[in-house]
Amino acid sequence: MVVAVLLPRFELVIAAGGREVLARGPAALAPEPGREQRVGEVSSSAEAFGVHAGMRLGEALARCPSLALIPPDPMGVADAWDKVLARLESAGAAVESEAPGLAFFDAAALARLHGGRAADDPAAALRARMSAGGAPPWLAGVVTAVRAALRLPARIGAGPSRFCALAGAVRARSRRAELVDGAAALAGEPVALLRRRPEVEALVRPLERLGIGTLGQLAALERPVVADRFGRAGELAYDLALGRDSELKPRQPGEVLEEVLELPESASGVQLGRALVLLVDKLLARRERDGRTLRAVVLGARLVEGGTWRERVVFREPLADATRMRLALGQKLVMLPAPAESLRLTVERFGAVSAGAHALFDDGSAQRTARMREAIRQARAVAGPEAALRVLEVDPDSRVPERQAVLAPYEL
Amino acid sequence: MTSPRRLNVPLPATVRADPRGRPLAVDGRAVDAVRESWVVEDRWWTDAPLRRRYWEVVTTRGDLLVLFRELDQVGGWYRQR
Repeated sequence: MVVAVLLPRFELVIAAGGREVLARGPAALAPEPGREQRVGEVSSSAEAFGVHAGMRLGEALARCPSLALIPPDPMGVADAWDKVLARLESAGAAVESEAPGLAFFDAAALARLHGGRAADDPAAALRARMSAGGAPPWLAGVVTAVRAALRLPARIGAGPSRFCALAGAVRARSRRAELVDGAAALAGEPVALLRRRPEVEALVRPLERLGIGTLGQLAALERPVVADRFGRAGELAYDLALGRDSELKPRQPGEVLEEVLELPESASGVQLGRALVLLVDKLLARRERDGRTLRAVVLGARLVEGGTWRERVVFREPLADATRMRLALGQKLVMLPAPAESLRLTVERFGAVSAGAHALFDDGSAQRTARMREAIRQARAVAGPEAALRVLEVDPDSRVPERQAVLAPYEL
Repeated sequence: MTSPRRLNVPLPATVRADPRGRPLAVDGRAVDAVRESWVVEDRWWTDAPLRRRYWEVVTTRGDLLVLFRELDQVGGWYRQR
């Protein structure tokens, strides 16, 4: 039994700084700078004007001229969502989440933990199975435990697959979890529910134009017909309409390792590049890294004009080489839409301790570097963390000498 | 881990100057020659604008020093190098 936890308009609420702002009038999340000009999540009053998430900005403003555009805050949203997932995990759930505001987990795994006596009663389980559409007796206990851990008003749905659970969460209006038990229960749902799945989002309009308004109508078609018209996406939509979905892939909860650099004089261009050098060095020098390589990192910035910017970078291979990291991250930094007030680098996933890469022709440089690294480590052990520093030019062209260079940790 | 530290941070200096502001002695050492002088105006668009008159001088002991005087109300003298 999969459970879906839905926090409606999560990104919009975080970016707006609270639900009170949304009550003032129609609002939508503005497109991220440099990205496609489509609005993000929209408030319910904006929905009343016919505006929906993913709509082109021009069309959204034409439909609702008083629409307030709220600058997106991807960094704040990621932080807040991570806290929500951590709370779910604290209740014992192995959580899968593809986007902020929606998480899934397998409730059966928590039955004995939170299900109470009902979880151990085979007769009750059998009775529930016999009664068509009935929720397992332990589900209420699991939902109560999850709500207590969340401490947020969430809509909770349950079902045999991820999509069924999602349909239940969208339908849920009260504090009760809504159970959607397979194709029959899904039949009455509008095809617009497919918008919740990015892979089949584009099919909603063509299906509606063809007069297919509900998932039941879609499921009533023959699979080859749908596949012939819409290809792979059509097959997936058909499976979803029948209540079938892929297996859950829960995330691996990990430790958080991050470095933040405040930029008092809002930086851009070369200066920002220097800040990145410093940030990478600081992150690699952290004791908690413990010699591990980095597999994926998130580069974020708080922009001077308001809002934030966030970019995930997965390295081609796990690495702990500052030069190669700078090279990879520098390409992303170019896309920063405005000068930044602060720059943040967070490790999302670690790789193995030492990637085990060897040079084809060993010229001894690796050995020299290793010796040097060991020397620095020993010097720091004896004389403290300031034993090995280097001069890093931050703004070499500044006319004010104290802004030209800083002393930073020396890392190889 | 230590946080990065700025280099060339200005240090207060005791400077005797003539009425036109030209340094005559720095920390008790007489100035032999003034090599260069320039004005730096920066961050005028912020609440903390920066206006400095810089002097590059050689003392009688042969030291090459860079000094500046704040041109705002505070008006203190500082050594930078």
